[in-house]
Amino acid sequence: MSLSTGVAPEKPFAEKIPANPLARRFLPLLVACLLAIVVLLILYIGLGTVSLSPGEVIAALVNQPVETFHRQIVWDLRFPRGLVAILVGAMLGLAGAILQTITRNPLASPDLTGVSAGAVLASVLGIAFIPPLAAGGPALPFVALAGGVVVGATVYFLSRQGRSDPLRLALNGILLGAILNSGSSIVLIFDQERAANIVLWLIGSLNGRVWSHFNTLWPWALVGIPLALGCAGLANTLNLGDDVATGLGQNVERARAGLFFIAVLLASSAVAIVGAIGFIGLIGPHISRRLVGDDARRLLPMSAVVTALLLLLSDFIVQAITKGSLPVGAITALLGAPFFLYLIFRRVKA
Amino acid sequence: MGSDNKTSLREISTTITGKTRGAAMAAENVRVGYGEKIILSELSLEIRRGEITALVGPNGSGKSTLLKGMARLLKLHSGTVFLEGEELTKMANSEIARRLAVLPQAPTAPAGLTVGELVEQGRYPHAGPMRMLRKQDHEAIGRALELTGTLEFANRPLENLSGGERQRAWIALTLAQATPVLFLDEPTTFLDIGHQLEVLELVGQLNREQGMTIVMVLHDLNQAAQYAHRMVVLRKGSIVADGAPAEVMTGEVLEKVFNIKAHIVTDPASGRPVFLPYAVVKNEEVGRGQ
Repeated sequence: MSLSTGVAPEKPFAEKIPANPLARRFLPLLVACLLAIVVLLILYIGLGTVSLSPGEVIAALVNQPVETFHRQIVWDLRFPRGLVAILVGAMLGLAGAILQTITRNPLASPDLTGVSAGAVLASVLGIAFIPPLAAGGPALPFVALAGGVVVGATVYFLSRQGRSDPLRLALNGILLGAILNSGSSIVLIFDQERAANIVLWLIGSLNGRVWSHFNTLWPWALVGIPLALGCAGLANTLNLGDDVATGLGQNVERARAGLFFIAVLLASSAVAIVGAIGFIGLIGPHISRRLVGDDARRLLPMSAVVTALLLLLSDFIVQAITKGSLPVGAITALLGAPFFLYLIFRRVKA
Repeated sequence: MGSDNKTSLREISTTITGKTRGAAMAAENVRVGYGEKIILSELSLEIRRGEITALVGPNGSGKSTLLKGMARLLKLHSGTVFLEGEELTKMANSEIARRLAVLPQAPTAPAGLTVGELVEQGRYPHAGPMRMLRKQDHEAIGRALELTGTLEFANRPLENLSGGERQRAWIALTLAQATPVLFLDEPTTFLDIGHQLEVLELVGQLNREQGMTIVMVLHDLNQAAQYAHRMVVLRKGSIVADGAPAEVMTGEVLEKVFNIKAHIVTDPASGRPVFLPYAVVKNEEVGRGQ
């Protein structure tokens, strides 16, 4: 307001700002990733004991199957599994991008902040000791969310001395996550009956995911994803550090707590459906950062789309190579762990 | 410990009402520190509109603490800060941010963030986080980039800039806030001498051409004397000297506050005082001096 005392400019200042090339390529990249997801989904559905050509898949999807049993394979088995993969990928990617932003730590992700471990332990306890939950069902995400929130909040408050410190947050998350995972393993020993099933939870698997799983998941995505994307501006300001953000008029503690809760909500509900699929929430946001930069308004949607593509691709590889006998979490860990080491190595060097 | 020295050292008392016309900001009897550790107690200071005020003093004197306390980056234990006559604690966060911008010491941003994206954040208090940037926002961002000479590298990531360029980008962020008052905490730290002067010249220009009231913590006394209208000297949490550079930069003040003996000469070009240190005062001598 008081700045308006200067000499009137010959040209509005706004017109002098050069267009941001990162912003210009955001939309084409986003659309390209979405198209890639569609194409991959068609190939993905074609894959399996009975393999279908893309044409047969499309025909079955639009309810004009070439053979009657194609409809069953596509609609009852492979299509819902693919949709669960896409939704879970998007949710874990968004959660990872938010956690990386609010902790100002590139090594943060749902699995590295203890949130996944908390959600898994709560789910595993629920499955083992609360009979109505044994078969999963729509109540499980609430249990997982409770676990994720409790662990997330514990990590958050443990890391808070006067003001929350990003590095403490990540370190506490990793430590607490390790403790909780051993807790889940102990449950496993006592519940031999369901042990095989529970192991899949710890690794994360899409095997046998059908419409009932998708129907449990989508309301959470419908709430969490728009909420996360709407808070991108808050995340951007928070990312400049507590003092700068306070100076800009942000209520830092409230913004951080809110974003943390949204990330936990996304991650926990996804984990409740498929288990703790590791590293995907770390890698997706990193690739997205390379593509569209650090601005959360582009990073968050891009992370959702890229991570969805990554998870679908990982499950595609699992199906193609092992015929689905390996859980998808095994392959994401196999590909993700070296990437994690590379990030640490690069950080140490810098 | 601060109170013992208070009486013996020269104290400039300013009539503090907090609501004085012409005062951009005022701190009244503020008590502030980190957690339980109190750095400043019962300190009062009035910032006059349209001036560059430099807060100087040795390490641990409380100059940064004072700046942070006045800018609500540190919570006050007691006392009041007024912004243009209004109590800070009674104002909304965004309302404060539309009138007072503050650049903390050595700020950090994500490495890949571009200058333009950083400066955009300055509009945070003007537009809600959900709302898109409007025409006047783009105008303010463009102006901030132009004033700081960062327009040409608006699309470069911060990590690819020199220290001086980066600091100018951060100052542009505070300018996009379009506030009449600007606080800078050691804006020249970690910069080489050329870039230090670049930043200080920019500060002088903002004050002259835009009429901004600027308060900055500076380490270098000569630079403070060169660029500020008023120097406020702190020592152990108390203000021990306050006035125009020529009044404050005296052998007496330098000896008592910084424990050095120095010649004071006047820079023929600017008419501002410059000090040339020649000896360190031994501790016993300081004790006797008091």
